[in-house]
Amino acid sequence: MMISDIKSRPIYRDLAPEPTASGHLLVVEGETLTPALLAAFASAFGPVAPRLHIWLVGGPQDVGAHPGRLWRLGSLADVEDSLSCASRGFGIGDRLYVSGTEPFLWRVAEAAGHVGFASGQIQLHHAGSLRRRVWCTHCHSITDDVTTHIADCAGCGRHLLVRDHFSRRLGAFMGVMVDAEAPGQVPAREEVFA
Amino acid sequence: MIGDTLLLRVDAATAIAPTLRHLRLVAADGGKLPPASAGAHVQLSLKAAARTHRNAYSLVSRPGARDAYEIIVRRVEASRGGSAFIHEQLAVGDTVEAAWPGNLFPPVRTARHQLMVAGGIGITPFLSYLAEFGLSGASHALHVCCRPDEREVFAPWLPEGANVDFHWDADGHRLDIPALLAAQQAGTHLYVCGPAAMNDAVIAAARDAGWPDSHVHCEHFGTALSGGEAFRAFLARSGIEVSVGEDESLLEAIERAGVAAPCLCRGGACGVCATPLLEGDAEHRDHFLSPTERESGRLIMPCVSRARSGRLVLDL
Repeated sequence: MMISDIKSRPIYRDLAPEPTASGHLLVVEGETLTPALLAAFASAFGPVAPRLHIWLVGGPQDVGAHPGRLWRLGSLADVEDSLSCASRGFGIGDRLYVSGTEPFLWRVAEAAGHVGFASGQIQLHHAGSLRRRVWCTHCHSITDDVTTHIADCAGCGRHLLVRDHFSRRLGAFMGVMVDAEAPGQVPAREEVFA
Repeated sequence: MIGDTLLLRVDAATAIAPTLRHLRLVAADGGKLPPASAGAHVQLSLKAAARTHRNAYSLVSRPGARDAYEIIVRRVEASRGGSAFIHEQLAVGDTVEAAWPGNLFPPVRTARHQLMVAGGIGITPFLSYLAEFGLSGASHALHVCCRPDEREVFAPWLPEGANVDFHWDADGHRLDIPALLAAQQAGTHLYVCGPAAMNDAVIAAARDAGWPDSHVHCEHFGTALSGGEAFRAFLARSGIEVSVGEDESLLEAIERAGVAAPCLCRGGACGVCATPLLEGDAEHRDHFLSPTERESGRLIMPCVSRARSGRLVLDL
């Protein structure tokens, strides 16, 4: 489900810190942090550890050994607040790395964009569930935590086929009415984004 | 060619410094000129005795102005003839052909802060930037590295409240480029225009400080680009062989032979003149082709690039 013929489908890679950057901020969605992932971060970020801050959002209480300085945040809203409060502190030479589910990645990326981060300063790494945020092309509502290929729109109740077309601005996939041609004929839902 | 030709008349010419001449150019027919945006240039066809020089100059007139184009031209010691012609021969009342203005160096208007670094006459594109930022209220800073006696020369073009610092080669007055670039907030765009060595130094310092390439912009100028050893070039489609002299560019030799080659900036920046190279070893001097394209040896930009040795065969 991470590979698609649709060009707008984002491609995520392993995080690769850029050694010339002045500051490094790693924002991690706690529920997706596994021991293996933490070990991968420790290895990748080791060389820049003195200039690394990690914001851990929710998740495990006992993290164990980690590179850099660790800060705990309660929720995504805290990340958004902290980014906007700290905007004077971010330089053009800094880099932001985000790891987590797609809805998490793109909400952090959007908040970072608001404080001046360029896309070239941000790296996104997918971890955890494939659940999607879906944007209804009919009523423009957002439906969160979608794990099936057909979902009910939280706004208008239409049965939406979840497509791979992705909007970076909305951080959401396109949902179009699945039974527009033949009302009531809705295929069986499959759990494909678990 | 992109755009039509304009016929301009020299309305005023002023020596604003020993080596700087300011020209005010109006439409020869008395009409309005096409508007140009901040960072734009105009390419003049200067008909000197030996040959026609086509040189691009940044417009220092207010962006959008339609009554006149203003340029400031430095008399270059090793001039190939363009700047010497403007300084010594062009007189008020003369007409000059020009291409429509183009812009290869526009400011990024979504920037949170505009940081400009100029070397000498490289200040000219930033004079139009300042006029725009004065109106838009964009956060900005211009650092000019120049001779101390030229600090006052550009004062008439600096809007009130413009944030400009001058630097020159003396203790306490030099620009500390790494320190300047290390202290910039996220969302800043950097623009540099000056001699090649200074451009290269600023771009390298930005890389070292972790700037993303998307936020670093450069306009090259200079005269050391086009001369070199004489060589020959064969234009395969036209069936013409041209000899390229030491003090002219391949593009100029092609034009002299009467072959219309596409071109715009004539400084190796815009890519319009990129021409398929069928045979020969090119010495690439442009800022446009990627390292991969250079290595492939299949493209050349005749406005600045030459033959490393022997003869070139172009698909032209």
